[in-house]
Amino acid sequence: MNAPEIAKKLEDIPPGSAITIDMKIDSYFDFIRATLDLFATRKDLDCIYVTSTIPSESILNALSVLEVDIDRVYFVDCISHSMMGKTSQSDHVIFVESATMLENIMLKVQYLMKKSKRENKVVIIDSVNTLAIHNNTKILSEFFHILLNNLRSKDAYIFILNMEGQGSEDLDSMMNLVADDKFRIPAGQEENGDGNGGGEEASE
Amino acid sequence: MDAARDRCVTGIENLDNILNGGIPRGNTVLVTGSCGTGKTTMSMEFLVHGALMGEPSLFLSVTEASDKLLKNVIPYDFFEDSLIKKGKLIFIDLPVVYELFGMTKGELDFEDIDLLVKAIADIVRDLGIKRLVIDSITSVCYQLRTEEKIRQFILKVGKSLSEYGCTSILVSEISPSSERYSLYGVEEAIADGIILMGNLQRRGDLLRTLQVVKMRGTNHSRAKYVLDLTPSGVLLVPLLKGGSI
Repeated sequence: MNAPEIAKKLEDIPPGSAITIDMKIDSYFDFIRATLDLFATRKDLDCIYVTSTIPSESILNALSVLEVDIDRVYFVDCISHSMMGKTSQSDHVIFVESATMLENIMLKVQYLMKKSKRENKVVIIDSVNTLAIHNNTKILSEFFHILLNNLRSKDAYIFILNMEGQGSEDLDSMMNLVADDKFRIPAGQEENGDGNGGGEEASE
Repeated sequence: MDAARDRCVTGIENLDNILNGGIPRGNTVLVTGSCGTGKTTMSMEFLVHGALMGEPSLFLSVTEASDKLLKNVIPYDFFEDSLIKKGKLIFIDLPVVYELFGMTKGELDFEDIDLLVKAIADIVRDLGIKRLVIDSITSVCYQLRTEEKIRQFILKVGKSLSEYGCTSILVSEISPSSERYSLYGVEEAIADGIILMGNLQRRGDLLRTLQVVKMRGTNHSRAKYVLDLTPSGVLLVPLLKGGSI
């Protein structure tokens, strides 16, 4: 499934929904591109991107190569500090010292929500799997429960990335509990008949 | 109980929610914690919001000169320079008041206390002050020395401010390991409210926390919250427990 097809799938999602996006790593940038194109460019929303997977700088570089407009994208970067690397100052990036500081992630999202003048926002959480490396399922459930309810009440579109094959039964149960729905992005070979996903939207 | 008391809306949205609408007007609240926990910043925000709402607000600085203090304050998105120019937000260095009344000796006596309370009450009355911060009450207490004098000062100042409908915050400094909410133990017993600010260490992370321990005249949450000091002001979220018991 390519970026325009993903965007088409996401088009009808109502505001205030929290959707788990199950996908293979191959679809990573297609999903980001589709989401930013649909919500930031076409729907004119600010995007808050919480990354604990790869540093914001790497995502920004990749998006710039893909010629994706990043003016409305604001990052909460929970990985760069932990890598002890140099972090560049930007109005579009806020750093959280560690992915274990879940309250600080909530606070930074709250700050960006408050700062944004646009009515609706889209929030991408990348990803449940990398957050689970640093946190146990109990505290992660509590984090998602509070954060998602807060964002829902503000009518944000929420996408939580879940990399296929990198989760656990506990993690899947937790996401079923806290999210409203699940959307699976099939990998390329599955669409060609080699897999069994078929691009269907999975509901709970 | 809640409906009966008029509220002093702090303007810190999450704190007002915790307090069920704000601090009951006229209350004297002890904001206490160790260094770096955000006491001064939060107290300053309380005053700025008050000034923005048209309530004359006064910061009585004891430990730090006001101009230095202002330079170190977070540049709030909502701050307006005109608040100071229009006299809605006023800064006074308490050592200047001490000098004015000849209270230059190290320890204040009962007569000095009466003079100091009267001086503060006169400023509040004359300028129509509705919000006051004393930063810090601990430094004032150093000059009072005895529990009896501290008790008398806080009781008298609290009573005078309340009579003028002024809601006040007394900033109190305690050590990180303190089991009390104030250095002398007297301040906490007399105050109408206690907001405890702290640093919580969890798995090597240091989180700033806030907890409303007591607030007369309102129902309130007594849970611990994690706070962040941002250009949009103080933000709070619940402290995650992670299933711990």
